[in-house]
Amino acid sequence: MREALEGSQAIARAVTLCKPDVVAAYPITPQTHIVENLSELVAEGDLHTEFVSVESEFSAASVVLGAAAAGARAYTASASQGVLLMAEVLFNIAGLRIPLVMTVANRAVSGPLSIWNDHADSMAVRDSGWIQLHCVSNQEAVDTTIQAFRIAQETDLPVMVCMDGFILTHVMEPIDLPEQSEVDAWLPPFVFDRALDPSDPKSLGMMVTPDYFPEIRHAHHAAMEKALPVIEATDRDWEASFGRACGGLLTVEGDAGARVGILAMGSTVGTLRAGMAEPGAAPARLITLRAFRPFPAKALRDAARGLDHLIVIDRAISPGAGGVVGLEVAAALAGHPDMPRLHNHALGLGGRDIPETIYADLIAAIEDTDAPGFSVFDADLSKLAPEDR
Amino acid sequence: MTTLTRGAWGYAGASLDFKTGNWRSTDKPVHLHAKAPCHAACPAGEDQQAWFALLQEGRAQDAWEALVAANPLPGVTGRVCPHPCESACNRATLDGALAIHNVERWLGDEAVAKGWAYPLEAPAGDAPVVAIVGAGPGGLSAAYHCLRLGLKAEIFEAAPQPGGLLRSAIPPTRLPRAALDAELERLLALPGLTLTLRARLGRDVSLDELSSRYAAVLLAPGCQEGKEWDVAGAVPTDHREGLALLREFMDHGSFPEAQRVIVHGGGNTAMDLCRLMKRAGSEHVTLVTASGLPGPNTAPGDLINVVPRELEEALEEGVEIIDHATVGRLIMKGSKVTGVEVVSLRKLPGGDGRTHRVAFEGTERILPADMVIPCIGERVDPEGLEGLLERGYLRPADSWGSLSRPNVYAIGDASGQSGTVAAAIGDGRRAAEALALRLAGEVPVSDARPVLEAPQLNPRYYGGGARPHVPKLPAAARDFDSEIEGDIGRTAALAEAQRCLSCGNCLACDNCWTFCPDNAVIKTQELASDGSHYLFDLDYCKGCGLCAQECPTGYIQMVPEEG
Amino acid sequence: MSDPTPSGSSMPDNPRLAELRRKHGRPPQAPGAEPPQITPRDSQPRFRGLESGHRACQGCGEALAARLVMESAGPDVMVSNATGCLEVFTTTWPQSAWRVPWIHSLFENASAVASGMEAAMKAKGKNTKVLAFGGDGSTYDIGFQTLSGMLERQHNVLYVCYDNEAYMNTGVQRSSSTPHAAATTTSPAGKERMGKRHLKKDLLSIIAAHHIPYAAAASVAYPQDLQRKVRYAMGIEGPTFLVIHSPCPLGWKHDSCLTIEVARRAVECGLFPLVELERGAVTNVMPIRKPRPVRDYLELQGRFRHLFAEDPRAEEEQAHLQALADHNIATFGLTGDAEDPADTGGAALVHRGGPLASGGF
Repeated sequence: MREALEGSQAIARAVTLCKPDVVAAYPITPQTHIVENLSELVAEGDLHTEFVSVESEFSAASVVLGAAAAGARAYTASASQGVLLMAEVLFNIAGLRIPLVMTVANRAVSGPLSIWNDHADSMAVRDSGWIQLHCVSNQEAVDTTIQAFRIAQETDLPVMVCMDGFILTHVMEPIDLPEQSEVDAWLPPFVFDRALDPSDPKSLGMMVTPDYFPEIRHAHHAAMEKALPVIEATDRDWEASFGRACGGLLTVEGDAGARVGILAMGSTVGTLRAGMAEPGAAPARLITLRAFRPFPAKALRDAARGLDHLIVIDRAISPGAGGVVGLEVAAALAGHPDMPRLHNHALGLGGRDIPETIYADLIAAIEDTDAPGFSVFDADLSKLAPEDR
Repeated sequence: MTTLTRGAWGYAGASLDFKTGNWRSTDKPVHLHAKAPCHAACPAGEDQQAWFALLQEGRAQDAWEALVAANPLPGVTGRVCPHPCESACNRATLDGALAIHNVERWLGDEAVAKGWAYPLEAPAGDAPVVAIVGAGPGGLSAAYHCLRLGLKAEIFEAAPQPGGLLRSAIPPTRLPRAALDAELERLLALPGLTLTLRARLGRDVSLDELSSRYAAVLLAPGCQEGKEWDVAGAVPTDHREGLALLREFMDHGSFPEAQRVIVHGGGNTAMDLCRLMKRAGSEHVTLVTASGLPGPNTAPGDLINVVPRELEEALEEGVEIIDHATVGRLIMKGSKVTGVEVVSLRKLPGGDGRTHRVAFEGTERILPADMVIPCIGERVDPEGLEGLLERGYLRPADSWGSLSRPNVYAIGDASGQSGTVAAAIGDGRRAAEALALRLAGEVPVSDARPVLEAPQLNPRYYGGGARPHVPKLPAAARDFDSEIEGDIGRTAALAEAQRCLSCGNCLACDNCWTFCPDNAVIKTQELASDGSHYLFDLDYCKGCGLCAQECPTGYIQMVPEEG
Repeated sequence: MSDPTPSGSSMPDNPRLAELRRKHGRPPQAPGAEPPQITPRDSQPRFRGLESGHRACQGCGEALAARLVMESAGPDVMVSNATGCLEVFTTTWPQSAWRVPWIHSLFENASAVASGMEAAMKAKGKNTKVLAFGGDGSTYDIGFQTLSGMLERQHNVLYVCYDNEAYMNTGVQRSSSTPHAAATTTSPAGKERMGKRHLKKDLLSIIAAHHIPYAAAASVAYPQDLQRKVRYAMGIEGPTFLVIHSPCPLGWKHDSCLTIEVARRAVECGLFPLVELERGAVTNVMPIRKPRPVRDYLELQGRFRHLFAEDPRAEEEQAHLQALADHNIATFGLTGDAEDPADTGGAALVHRGGPLASGGF
């Protein structure tokens, strides 16, 4: 049934459909509406869950860790500073191989303070061992949230559903929410075979000596690699049931014969699609990266094969190195034949508006042979003192 | 090869695979069955700690049975014993020694009142028979222990009644005859025991005859003869020796008349005599003793050898005592004594390493007296023991009482030790045990366990509590028959049992089990093989020593690892 | 290399055996195998929540305290354990010393993890009680916020702080629980300093100010009192808190056999008052039968050795600690009017047959 819903509200409804046993969250812009909507659903009796209003994001992550370890389907949501405050716990959750789901309403990281959207927060915890899936639209965010619960318990890995703060979370759109019965049929009940249980007491989170630690890390890495087909298969299965997909690991659209490709994640893809659809727009192959972790290197190479140029758009930078996605794409393509030349640009940091014209500008910039391998594309350097440029 | 679990989870309790016992660097805990000091000090060999432990659980009959495993006459010793157990009691360092003596008496009386049977079986019909000379406490104890060990016993007693000096020398005020008879009757009625009265050694029966007819001979004749006594060669014509006077009084109920009596000596006979004569009407009764009265100037070894409460009661009754003194000279009018010269003295170590009595010139004083009674001990009547006596006594070669003649043992006062009833009872037990083992071709072994000293206890685990009140006749009401000391009663006896510290023996208090940080103390449902309720799991014990430190009784000790 | 199962048998792959194992909590026997021998260890008349084979130092007060807590709390519990000595010495993979469901996440989040576990139990309609364990580092300091949050949200969790008064796991650094004037590796005594300059944080008052149903202090020196408090807390639906004074022979520098004696003197001198607070009000204290000078407590421990130097500052600091103890005694009314079976003298008494036989605690 299609309803006009704010992104955050839609996420709250999607989470409700997954019947989480425990929800813990701490409010932070722009995630607040998700928490508020969940609270309202609980207050109205539409969501039967233990809603734990914690005193920090650090505790939010810890609560869902404990809840999932005790055999409960658990969910949390955060953004920006909240994600960073959670960081220690996020690593721990993944290392303990505890399946749960978190929404990240992507936002810039302070300082200076910015409450607006970019990807610095989820990128800061990319090495935590979580699955990270990026959503282009609110419909995808809804569908991915439900898929995430299934992926998590199939892989024994936590899943982060990333959606752009404000741009998605605060935007009203018609959303097709599945029926409860449909979700019940599609999403199996939560089972965690290592759950804390007095009738079969196990110890979780033990200390591991150097004799075993590399193997534990290898197993985690292998689990992420094995999650790639799971993510794809889950999305296919979703499509079979609900008639729409969320883009598997990545999607390729646009002109298949184009020599130029553009790769992006999240809502920027929508802007690029609009730019590409403008009359007279240069042809391009648009690659939407949905799975940032695990990183689908092979799928990416297949998608990039035959291109002369690949523009990689980043919504976060690693100062002193470049765009985070750009660096990873470069690493994935390096050493393989027939790979395009990369152009890496950061865009829309701290909520800078990304206009539809960016599409043309980015393609035009390919011709600038003097351009550096990486730039903050929309930075107006005239706003800086000369010595800071 | 261990297979890693997902996220490195672990099975419950798998740490048992990790044996921390090899962390012990030097010491490990052991259960050390030390002797409780009461047990070590008891001449009768009673293990007071053991029977108090049963009493602590309210098991009075079991306690009595444990007691009579060593001493068949608790009703007697519970009245007459000088109780060195109490002097040795570690509780004395806390809030006063346990009233072992009074509880023993209560248990003995309780057994008589309830008719508890002695825990022994009748000897087999063809069991060896042991001859015992003398039916005093030593002979009776020997007979009883023979029965316990499966032997038969036949006692030959010169007197018309059994009991020895219990009957002849201890006043009824200390040991009522009813109490004595009750216990003796029960003992003498045991199957396998025969008593022949008016059978005197050397007159009615000879040692050779006994030796040839019986598996072994135990000699417990006691000391019947007063020692020779004079002061610098002078002996009054009306000289009477103390024990003889006492016996006479027991038989006829009267003393020779005397207003000023000097008793010279320092044992229980002297004390009994002083008190009885005072009660019989003598105006002044003065005890002159070389030993000291309790006080800061008296070393423990120099203390007057009487039951402390007897001393206390004697003073209550007006007996005067001059301690650290001796009678240096008799003042005679003709052959009659009119006074004594008393001189101070001390027992001091001499150059030869032995103790000498040194009288101090200038301390002489004259006391008027119309009777001087020596109570300086008795010796063995040599009749029938020709060739066995050595300087007046049967002096055994070992602690079992063995004499030079094969299968003949000496017991009690006759063996020349500082005799008490309890010592005689202990002699009887040891001799019976030794001969039983030797008859079986085995060798008796002494209990060489160490004694648990007070500093080895952890006193904080014990509650405070005063000794029970012992009812006592007021001095004015004391006569020649009524027992002076009363019974403390069941409630007080059971309460007193709770004061026992269980020195050196497991109290089953759970402290070791409770305090082991490593779960290396295992509690057993039944008694562990070492008699405690606990086992040390040395696979996991790290040797921290907490259990030993917090063991109230000193039962757990840290000892070096072997090897 | 040993297998992680306690008996050394391999992981059950037969579902029926796995089910049996779940039911009975011990590794299943293969069909036809000899029946398992019941060892004396198996038949202990108490719940062994914390098993032997853990790697605590000799005489560890914390290991003892945790063992005592588990005996009274188990077996229908699950534990969230903060990083620290207790966590490290009990769970070197694969050898866990715990016989209850147990999880360690991080240093500062034991309370929050416990909150989540408790929420899960509530959501699933189960009654399993959740325990949270931490040392003084994780309780007084780094995990203080998550603890406060847990208490405020009224989670049905018993939080136990094993207070050994410093960061022992990392090598004896001072914490906010370290007593005044104690020397640690980050508050050493020297020419300019007499150990820790600051006071021990009055955590219990802060905890009690959350108006929770029950907050109490216990000591390993009084195990029956400790276990009574655990049982009382276990019976309460809601947040409860217990801080247990747990000497550390290594960090406090005393002989490993003196753990109990040191703990006892801490109580007897008044420096570690055993108090109980309900809804913020003091409802019970363990009276001190005969207050001991603080000196008796200090003299057993190397961390206070500098207070026995020929130095006027040493004398002053000893007097300061005595004043702090006296202040505790006055504040909590720790001196009883008469001897009491539950005072520091009475609570220590032992009986033949132990506490079980005497029908006590």
